[in-house]
Amino acid sequence: MSSVSEPSAVRTPSVSPPLRAPALTEIFRALLEADFTVQLRNNRALLLSFALPLVLLYGLFAGKRGLALGDPQFRVASALTLGMASIAILGYAMTVARDREKGVFQRLRVTPAPTWTIMTSRLLVQVAAILAMALVLLVAADLFEGVSLTAEAYLLTLIGVIFSSALFLSVGQALAGLVKSADTLNAVGRIAYLPLFAVGLFGQSTIFGTTFELISRWSPGGTVETLLSGAMNPSSWNSDTWLAVAVSTAYSVVFAGIGIRWFQWGAR
Amino acid sequence: MTGHALQVKDLRVSYGPKRAVDGVSLDINEGEIFGLLGPNGAGKTSTLSAIEGLLKPTSGSILIRQVDVRAHPGLAKALIGVQLQSTSFQSELKIREIVRLYAGLYGVPLTKSAIFGRLTEIHLGDEASRRFSQLSGGQQKRLSLLIATVHDPPLVLLDEPTSGLDPQARRQLWDRIAGIRKSGRSILLTTHSMEEAQSVCDRVAIMDYGKILTVDTPAGLIEKHKNDPNVLAVARGQVTLEDVFIGLTGRELRE
Ligand SMILES: Nc1ncnc2c1ncn2[C@@H]1O[C@H](COP(=O)(O)OP(=O)(O)OP(=O)(O)O)[C@@H](O)[C@H]1O
Ligand SMILES: [Mg+2]
Repeated sequence: MSSVSEPSAVRTPSVSPPLRAPALTEIFRALLEADFTVQLRNNRALLLSFALPLVLLYGLFAGKRGLALGDPQFRVASALTLGMASIAILGYAMTVARDREKGVFQRLRVTPAPTWTIMTSRLLVQVAAILAMALVLLVAADLFEGVSLTAEAYLLTLIGVIFSSALFLSVGQALAGLVKSADTLNAVGRIAYLPLFAVGLFGQSTIFGTTFELISRWSPGGTVETLLSGAMNPSSWNSDTWLAVAVSTAYSVVFAGIGIRWFQWGAR
Repeated sequence: MTGHALQVKDLRVSYGPKRAVDGVSLDINEGEIFGLLGPNGAGKTSTLSAIEGLLKPTSGSILIRQVDVRAHPGLAKALIGVQLQSTSFQSELKIREIVRLYAGLYGVPLTKSAIFGRLTEIHLGDEASRRFSQLSGGQQKRLSLLIATVHDPPLVLLDEPTSGLDPQARRQLWDRIAGIRKSGRSILLTTHSMEEAQSVCDRVAIMDYGKILTVDTPAGLIEKHKNDPNVLAVARGQVTLEDVFIGLTGRELRE
């Protein structure tokens, strides 16, 4: 259809243009829906973040050797910590690095969605994944290993899990900020399991000597293990547990600072 | 109303010490298809990136329909549709989910059947449940053009929309671009094809080393530069747009 005498100044689009920036609720609804879908289809990350901690839980309770590492609550907390580390490294940092390399973020950034919403949505999905993993693990610990929690302890533990997920996800953010390539991050991520999880395993034992015990206890993983085992047994909550709350807050602030300061949206 | 879909004034963009855009000014009229030509590394993508808000210019101003891009980034981004030179979407998402995501991000909720309808229009109805990486290059370009226009933006920015397409797909895309303009929208596109510039663009700018060398209609450019000694030196017979392009930007290979 050609316009015959229509002056170009009044030629209007057939559909009225969106003369407003979309509301934050609309943006979040779209982002969360997509990010949840991605999470549920990411089989490798799902498998590792649910299966690994369950296997570890079984291992820590199967033989006598697990006993040397600490009380039952501490061992359940160790399994929770492994789950959180996996979700932060595989579910978050790795997918961020991979998507950045492919230009997924640049495409999202040319939409009206403010950049902080893009990250926040992903982080919220990871917190939900961590909570789901924690619930599965606590139920398994109760059913199979006889570690049952009071209602109060359950609540406190889940709050502790949300609180510690800040530490792990900010480490994930720092990894994605400091390491640009997805391949390198794949390698670095494996090493990150050490401070995030493995070192902390020995926070209640002097198998490797007292100096290592101290390092172990206040490593990121060890701090969270102290915090969570305190939450699972509220009567044992003491000044060390409070110190663990403070130390993990400090870790979160530092790592989030690094992760935000050095983060790049594009691969180039 | 000035009738301008886009006004760029004295835009400068740097990557560290490297200046990629060096004082670019452009006005794009409403309903106009404007082509940006230039050798590799001329600064076309960088100019678009600044307009899209992907990178912060060192100086200059950008108005989209009178909306200042830096003062109102959310609104400015709602007014433009973008197809990046190279793009990708989350590999776990099916293409109908990708369309739903982007429609949602622009505040245009689409029902399942509306999404399917739009995919069918671009002959991707059967591919609705496939992943982006499973589409051919041409199908990927069609999908990204659909997403760029999912919210009916008054200004569409297309960075090399037809690169890598076969002649049939290229013609089809030209028709789609013309269709976008018919509904009153304006288009800024980059291309390396002189044929494309001549057959779809109302006006064309040739840029190099971060600067715009000349702007006019394709025929106007030939008229304006046909007696330029550099242009005559490369012409083989009647002066073409490509002769003007090479005459103005030189023969050496770029990065
Ligand atoms: N992220 C970056 N960091 C450093 N330099 C960059 C970056 N992006 C582009 N450049 C440089 O800026 C200049 C302009 O690049 P740009 O991508 O804008 O060119 P172009 O005209 O789009 O080229 P092409 O036709 O190859 O797409 C080039 O010299 C390029 O090397
Ligand atoms: Mg380019």
